[in-house]
Amino acid sequence: MSRARFLESERRVGFLCLAPALLAVAAFSLAPLAIVLWLSLRRHMPVFGISRFVGLDNYAYLVSDPRFLSSLGNTAYVVLASVALELVLGLLVALLLDRSFSGRRIARAAVLVPWAFPTVVAASAWGFLLSPGFGVVNRVLGIDANWLGDPWLAIHAVILADVWKSTPLAALLLLAGLQVIPRDLGRAALVDGAGAAARFFRVTLPLLRPTILVVVLFRSLDAFRIFDVVYVLTGGGPANTTESVSLYAYRLYFQTLQFGTGSAVSIASCLVMAAWSAVMVGLLSTSRRGA
Amino acid sequence: MKRAILLGAGLFLVLAFCLGPYVWLLITSLRPPAEVAADPAALPAALSLESFRAVFSERPFFRIVGNSLLVAILSTALCLAAATAAAFALARLPVPGNRAVLALLLSVSMLPPVASVGPVYLAASALGLRDTAAALVMPYAALSLPLATWILHGFFRDLPADLHRAAKVDGCTPLQALRKVLLPPVAPGIAAAAILTFIFSWNEFLFALSLTSTDRSRTVPVEIALFAGVHEVPWGEIAAASVVATLPILLVVAALDRFLVRGLLAGSGKG
Amino acid sequence: MTARSERTRHAVAAVAVALASCAARDEPAAAPDTLPATIVFRHFPVFGGPEPLSRLLDEFRRENPGLIVEDRLLPASSDQQHQFYATQLEARSSDFDVFALDVVWVPEFARAGWLRDASDLVSEDDRRDFFDGPLLATTLGGKAYAVPWFMDGGLLYYRADLLEKHGLAVPDTLDDLARATRTVIEGERDPSLLGFLFQGRQYEGLVCSALEIVHSVPGGAFVADGRSAMTRPETIEGLCLLRRLVAEGTSPALVSSLDEEGSRLLFGSGRAVFLRNWPYAWSLFEADGSSVKGKVGIAPVPRAAGGRHVATLGGFALGVNRHSRNPEAAEKLVRFLASKESQKSLALAAGYEPTRRSLYDDPDLAEKQPFVARLKTILERAEPRPVTPYYPMIAQALQAELSAVVTGLRSPEVAARRAASQIDHVLSLEEP
Repeated sequence: MSRARFLESERRVGFLCLAPALLAVAAFSLAPLAIVLWLSLRRHMPVFGISRFVGLDNYAYLVSDPRFLSSLGNTAYVVLASVALELVLGLLVALLLDRSFSGRRIARAAVLVPWAFPTVVAASAWGFLLSPGFGVVNRVLGIDANWLGDPWLAIHAVILADVWKSTPLAALLLLAGLQVIPRDLGRAALVDGAGAAARFFRVTLPLLRPTILVVVLFRSLDAFRIFDVVYVLTGGGPANTTESVSLYAYRLYFQTLQFGTGSAVSIASCLVMAAWSAVMVGLLSTSRRGA
Repeated sequence: MKRAILLGAGLFLVLAFCLGPYVWLLITSLRPPAEVAADPAALPAALSLESFRAVFSERPFFRIVGNSLLVAILSTALCLAAATAAAFALARLPVPGNRAVLALLLSVSMLPPVASVGPVYLAASALGLRDTAAALVMPYAALSLPLATWILHGFFRDLPADLHRAAKVDGCTPLQALRKVLLPPVAPGIAAAAILTFIFSWNEFLFALSLTSTDRSRTVPVEIALFAGVHEVPWGEIAAASVVATLPILLVVAALDRFLVRGLLAGSGKG
Repeated sequence: MTARSERTRHAVAAVAVALASCAARDEPAAAPDTLPATIVFRHFPVFGGPEPLSRLLDEFRRENPGLIVEDRLLPASSDQQHQFYATQLEARSSDFDVFALDVVWVPEFARAGWLRDASDLVSEDDRRDFFDGPLLATTLGGKAYAVPWFMDGGLLYYRADLLEKHGLAVPDTLDDLARATRTVIEGERDPSLLGFLFQGRQYEGLVCSALEIVHSVPGGAFVADGRSAMTRPETIEGLCLLRRLVAEGTSPALVSSLDEEGSRLLFGSGRAVFLRNWPYAWSLFEADGSSVKGKVGIAPVPRAAGGRHVATLGGFALGVNRHSRNPEAAEKLVRFLASKESQKSLALAAGYEPTRRSLYDDPDLAEKQPFVARLKTILERAEPRPVTPYYPMIAQALQAELSAVVTGLRSPEVAARRAASQIDHVLSLEEP
């Protein structure tokens, strides 16, 4: 087969391979996105029979809507804190589980348990653990903190529950990433006289960089859309100090039936996430070129 | 020696943190329901399997677990098939604009699920798929696709170029090269993606609530949400159901664990 | 055959089988004339277990042999029900015919055109038998859109043993409540004993708790005459009373994280002196093994000085889906379930509070469910939250600002002003 024809058939195979994924994206992302975009340009309130085009009015409203801005702030804080903690903890856990020891299989399965829970159950469990009257956490720490009802503590309770739930995901991905780093590299560094810390920072970490960036990218997108944990633990309270963007959108859609404004919130949050992803992907490409 | 103790302590802390709430749920599920209603956080005074009995005899829980299993397995299979193919194409085949495609896939992860529930429900309605497992399989596979593709893309990308070249020299078509030579080394990635997709499908709530109505298709998270009454929350039953619901996941993880092992790369290099 | 292609083949086969079997199981979409008429009844889990309602439905099935009645559950969470109904009804679904809805949704759903007119379902005599509050809450523009099924009213639970021990009468006003709390806590010398618990978390329960205080001030209200009444001096006084409960220590700061169950558990384990909650908690306090069994009394929620006792109206009504394919059958079911006999049987079996006055004088009820019978005076006073199609939107503003008041994040005046501007904005959304 000539080289050109071979390449041509490879390209064809490539398109075929991509087709299912692209179809899925078109059906479950682009189509709903288009519908949501269309809705965001309208005032659509079924309760009042209102459905008309209003252009960018909804967005103009959001720009000066204190509730939207505060939900953005809350969400950004949660994303930054959660992802940072999950990365560090996940890395520690992955390193711990990378070694061989008896019972490793069980340890790996055990570490995945938080992620294996339905989120609503996990959040409810944390709600109980942090509850003022019966909270095990308060009893163990010997304090009387109002975890879920204090405007300053509540958001940290949300972060705690989210970190507990999601660290296994980070750990799992990092562990998989660690598996493909050949041991010889580490051994070579040892021969060169490098200590454990140096080996980690100079050899392992750079090779893990692509995995780390995937973890940060997806975890931050997930954290940005945080919903179940906030809904169950605090309901967005007290006084909307823990309300996330997703929760605000949910309230607009399903509690007040303002589909237009809710869609505008969704699109606005998509734009923020798209900007963030662009930054992350840029970093990811840089690391590839470097490695 | 000191290092072993440090590592042991670290492991213990990690396990305690991860398993703490689970242990509490386990204990709660083994207490008599009346006790739980009185004080959910106390240490058990007596043990009883009443909560488990209630979960299985008063509710169609077996059926529900069956629904969840069906949906999770199908969506995982579909998602992995599509993601592996896509990742392979993006990483190793001369397809134009692969960065753009990766970014496009990411867009699925950016739309808050609350926004897509409405349109998906309407579509499922129109196709006559309301209250069926099929209605859930497709959205779940699609929602997990970006992460799975990105994970696998990374693994395919990091494979040595010689592998693919050697396969081509041997006369393999692209798909044969994929099957015989390139898949084994990316096994950890596939295992990780499979576990994550399975768990996601198992625990997803919003779509399940909107697209299912009877126990014909209802999945575990929605069923657990039905346990709570208007005011009282039967923590014993919820705990029992959660304990049972976590078991299939632990089994899946244990089964796929052997792929999360290094050394497969070395094996394929010898070919 | 390698692993991957094998898996692909299996997957494809499995999907095909699954889709085929799903399609086969799917009910025929229409043609009610070729099948016996089917109606679907959607509701949340009934308090006390599914048997009482199942038995009632079986009786209905016996009386109506040509009718198939399907009984389908929804999660108990109010939000999830609202979300479910909104999604389905907005899509004009005919998947269910009769459904149980929270009284605060009736005006909203009616305005959206999702409920059939229910004026014929309640006869004139019946109308007199129903309590005023629920009837008011299910009426929009003079027409009834749902039939009150059962109701709830806020109560004060108190520790009769502790009050007796310290020679205190049951508190009548909020000042009495503060004084009594202080006396008992100081007298008991137990630093972990809590005072007055209510639902202070940011959710609908907070609006219910706060309404009882704000409306007890003469002239205090959240909404009046289609406009916000938040900035009225009387309303602000009510908000100040609410804040003072926490600020002066009558209520612990942790009320800001409590919902019905959280507060019930604390009181039920003997950790508090007073509790504001719904009637359901009584049977849990009197159950065997409860630490407060025999020690609990009930009274109306304390009022502001110079004001009246208020109980917030809760409860559910039965509505018929406007897009139902069998509206006559659906209406039959609603009449049956809201009838005196059905309400009585649910009250006897599950301790439900019926919406019909006459049942509270019924000797059977007095004998088997004495607690329910005692509630008559309190329920007579039950006041609904603002009856307007905009209520869910108004509730959003109220919940957040009331939470700010309870936690002290904002002063009552500032919170009232913020709530007022949001409420007025909502009420102006609909152009003529």
